[in-house]
Amino acid sequence: MLYLELFIQGIVQGSIYALIALGLTLVYGLLRILHVAHAALFTLGGYLGVIVTNATGSLAFAVVVAMVVVGLAGMGLYKLAYEPLLDRPPYIALIASIGLFIASEEIFRLIFGPYGLSYAEAPLQGQFELFAGFFLKHGEALAIVLSVVLLSGLAWLSTRTRTGIAWRATVSDPEMAEAFGVDIQKVRYLNFFIGSALAAAAGVLVALLNNLVEPTMGSVPSYKALAIIVLGGLGSIRGTLLAAMALGVIEAFGTIYLGHLLDRDAIAFAFLILVLMLRPQGLLGKAS
Amino acid sequence: MAYEITLLTTMAISVLFALSLNFITGFCGQISLGHAAFLGTGAYTGAMLAKAGVPFLLTLPAAAAMAATLGVLVGLASLRVRHDFLAITTMGVGFLFLGLVRQQDFLGGELGIAGIPATGLGKIGFMALCIALAAAFVAFSLYVRRTWMGYVFESIADNEDVSRVLGIDVARYKLAAFIIGTAVAGVSGALYAHHFRFIGPDSFGFVESISVLAMVIVGGIGSVWGVAAAAAVLSVLPLWFQVIDDYKLLLYSALLFGMMRFAPDGVAGLLRNLLRRRKAVTP
Amino acid sequence: MKISAFLTSAVAALAMAGGSALAEPVKIGFNVPLTGFAAADGKSALNGAELAVEQANAAGGINGDRIELVIYDDQASPKESVPIAQKLVEKDQVVLAISGSYSGATRAAAGIFQESGVPYISAYAVHPDITRAGDYVFRTSFVGQVQGRAGAKLIGGTLGKKKVALITLKNDFGKSLAAGFREAAGKYGIEVVAEYEYGIKDRQFGPIVSKVKSDKPDAIYASGYFFTAGPLVSQLRAGGIKVPVIGQEGYDSQKFIEIAGTAAEGTIITTSLDRDSPAAETKAFIAAFEKKAGHKADMVAASAHTAVKVAVAALKAAGSSDRSAIRDAIAKAKVEASTGTISFNGLGEVRKDVQVQVVKDGNWHHHSVISDAALLAPPEK
Repeated sequence: MLYLELFIQGIVQGSIYALIALGLTLVYGLLRILHVAHAALFTLGGYLGVIVTNATGSLAFAVVVAMVVVGLAGMGLYKLAYEPLLDRPPYIALIASIGLFIASEEIFRLIFGPYGLSYAEAPLQGQFELFAGFFLKHGEALAIVLSVVLLSGLAWLSTRTRTGIAWRATVSDPEMAEAFGVDIQKVRYLNFFIGSALAAAAGVLVALLNNLVEPTMGSVPSYKALAIIVLGGLGSIRGTLLAAMALGVIEAFGTIYLGHLLDRDAIAFAFLILVLMLRPQGLLGKAS
Repeated sequence: MAYEITLLTTMAISVLFALSLNFITGFCGQISLGHAAFLGTGAYTGAMLAKAGVPFLLTLPAAAAMAATLGVLVGLASLRVRHDFLAITTMGVGFLFLGLVRQQDFLGGELGIAGIPATGLGKIGFMALCIALAAAFVAFSLYVRRTWMGYVFESIADNEDVSRVLGIDVARYKLAAFIIGTAVAGVSGALYAHHFRFIGPDSFGFVESISVLAMVIVGGIGSVWGVAAAAAVLSVLPLWFQVIDDYKLLLYSALLFGMMRFAPDGVAGLLRNLLRRRKAVTP
Repeated sequence: MKISAFLTSAVAALAMAGGSALAEPVKIGFNVPLTGFAAADGKSALNGAELAVEQANAAGGINGDRIELVIYDDQASPKESVPIAQKLVEKDQVVLAISGSYSGATRAAAGIFQESGVPYISAYAVHPDITRAGDYVFRTSFVGQVQGRAGAKLIGGTLGKKKVALITLKNDFGKSLAAGFREAAGKYGIEVVAEYEYGIKDRQFGPIVSKVKSDKPDAIYASGYFFTAGPLVSQLRAGGIKVPVIGQEGYDSQKFIEIAGTAAEGTIITTSLDRDSPAAETKAFIAAFEKKAGHKADMVAASAHTAVKVAVAALKAAGSSDRSAIRDAIAKAKVEASTGTISFNGLGEVRKDVQVQVVKDGNWHHHSVISDAALLAPPEK
C-alpha cells in the first residue's frame, strides 16, 4: 500500500520531469546545445500561471496563456542567444546559457520580489479517494493527465503531420532535409516553441502542487533535467521519457530509504553515473 | 593595508584554482563541470589534518594527494564518456561529492568545519606563499605548453580519435592531465581552508564549479595569462560590486553571457585580435 | 589683533557647536542575505534593523552621534560572509557588527569578529557554535537546542501528545532543533516513532507524506523555513494527515499562511514574537514595522530590530568606541524589546521565555508561553 503510494508519487514527479526534460532533449537533438536556460522558461511559466489565474480566476486559461507566451519567449531566446553561437564550440553556448539562467533568476527576483508568489485561491486542492485510504490530489491527477495529453499530442504531431516529419528529418540529417526543401529556420523555431511550452506547463503544475513560485524554483530542474536527458541518451525522446519516469520513482523510494546516505539530488546523479559507466550512450541512446 | 592583503591572498588562490582547471579543460580539452569537488577534497583534507595538529605546510601535499586520487577516478571516467556526456558526468561527480560530505558527521556534515587554526606564517607570509605557488604554476603551465606533453594535450583537445590513430596513448595523457590538474586544485583547496578559516558543503557546489569554469572561458580557454588575469579580477569583482549590491549577480551573469556572445575567445582572444589588427594596419 | 582673536574664538565656538554634526557617524556592520535563497528573510531582517536605526537616530543617536548601518549582502553563505566580515573589520572599521543572516554565514563570520575583537550580535541564527567562537559574540534569539526542548514540552506537556514523527530540515537550523527535541523528549513521555530529513531546496514532499501517514503519529514536529514549511504543511493536510503540526520560528511569517492557505489553520510554532502581546514595546514595533515595510512583521524582523536595540543601548552605555568596553556593556545589558527582555549569560546566550503562536483565521495569534527557566537554560559554554 505504501509502496503503491510511493510509486504513484514517483509517476507524478516523473511526469513533471518529463515535461521539462523533453524541451531540453528537443533542443539538444537539433542543435547539440545543452540549453540550461530552459529552466528559466519553466520558472516563467510558473509565474505566468499564478499571475493569470489570480487575475482571471481561470486556471485553464492561465495554462494556455503560459504555454503560448513562454513558447514565444523560447523562440526569442533561440534567436537572440543561440543562433549567433551555432558555429562555436558547444561549451560556449553552455556557459552563455548558464549566464542567461542566473540572470533570469535575478530578474524574477527584482521584478516579483524574493518572497515568491502564491495563488490567491489555490485551485484543485481537493482530492479523490482512489481506494481505501489512498488520496490523490486533483493537482496530481492533472499532472499525470496533462503530461499524457501533451506527450501524445507531440507524438501525433511528429509522426502524422508534414511539419512533424520535416522536423524529425531535420534532427536526423539537417543537410539532407534542407536539400529536400525543409525550412530549417522554421523547424528550429517550432522546436523551441514546443519545448518551451512544455516547460511552461510543467511550471504551472509545480506552482499548483506547491502553491508557491519563487525566483529560484528553476535551479534544481536546471541540472536535474540535464541528468535526465543524458541518462536517456542525448537526443532520444523515448529515452528521455523513460529516464524521467525512472528517476521520479527512484527518487520517491530513495528519499525514504536512502535518505540517510545521500540527499535527493545526489541520488539522481549517483544513478546517472552508474548507468553511464555501464552504458556510455545512456539508456536508449545510439552507440557512437 | 590589512584588507588589501586579504584581497591579494583571495586572488592568488583563485588564480591557482582556475589554472588547475585550465590544465584539464584548456590544455587537454576535457570539459569539467565539477571541479569544485577537488577544491573541496583538498579543503576538507587540509582542514581535518590542521585541526588534528598536523603542521600547515605538511597539509598541502596531503591535500594534493587526496584530490589527485579522486582525480584519477574521474580521469578514468573520462576514458569511458566524452564531451557532453563527460561534462554531465563531472557535474554528477560534483553533486555526489557534496551529497556524501553532507551526510558524514566526521566531516562536519551540514555544518562544516569551523575554527581552522592559523597557518603560523602570519598574514603577509601566507599571502606570499599563495602568490608564490600561483606564480610557480603559471610558470609550470607555460613550460608544459612547450613540451611534448603540451603538444599531445593540444592534439587530444583538437581531435581525440585522430590522436589515437597517430599512435598517441590518449588514455595515459588524459589521466596525467587529470592528476596534475586535480592535485593543484587540492592544494588551492587547502590554502582556501586556511584563508577563510571555515568551510562547509556550500562552498564547493555547482555554482563554484561554474564560476571557475567561467574564469577559464572568460580568460580564454587554454591561455595561461588570460585565465590568470580573469581569475584575479573575477574573484574579487563581487566584493567591489558590493556598491550595487542588489544587482551584482545580475551584472555578473550578464557579463558572462555578454562575453560568450561577443567575445567567446575570452580576453586573450580579444587581445590577440587587437594585436593582429594593429599588425595588419602598419605597412 | 583683537579682530583675529575674536574670529578664532568664533570659529572655535562654531566648530564645537557643530561638533556632533561634523563628527563621524557610529558604524554598525550588518551582514544579511539580500540575494539567493534566503533573500525573503534577509529583506525582512534589513527592514527591522533599519527601523531600529531610524528610531534610535530620531531619539538622538549615540550621545548625539548618528548611527550608520553598513550593510553587505552575504547570500546566507559562509563563502560570502567571511570576506564581508574581513571587510567590515579592516576597511569599514565598524565598532560592532550584527548578523541578520542564517547560521552558516554567521558562524563563519563570528570567528573573524572574535579574532579581531569586534563585538558581534547574532539576531536569529541558531547554531550553538556561534557563541562558542568567544566572548565577543552574543545571540539575541534562542539556541536551536533550547527551542527544540521547548517544543518537546509543548507537545508532550501542554498538548499531551506522545507519539511524534520528526521531519527535519537538513541543515544546522533543523538539526539543532531536532537534537534539542530528542534530548527533552523522554522527560515528557514522547516516543519518536520516525524521523525523516529533507533538503532546503525540496518543495515536493509526496514520499514523506505517504510514509508519515503509515506511521500514524499523534503529532508532527517539523523544522523548516516558510518556503519549505508552507508546501510541507499544505501537502501533509492534502494527504489526509489531520494530527497537529508543530513548527518553530522558521515558519514565523505571513508568507507561510499565504502559501499553505487553509491548511495552515491550527499550525503551532515556538517563536519569539507574540502578535497579541500586551507589551508596549511589541505593539509599537509591530505597528511601526508594518508601516515601514508594507507587510506584517515576522520573527526575523523583530529579532534584527531587537539586536540593533541592544547594540544601541550598549554603545550608549559604553560611551566610547573602545571595542572591549562595548563588549562589556553588551554583556551587562538588560533591554526591553519586541521579542522580550534581553539579557545574556556567561556564554553570550539570551535568557527569555518562549512564545507559542498558533494560526487562527489566517493570522498568527497567541497560544501559550513556555517559561520553564531550567528547561530553557541556554548552555553556559
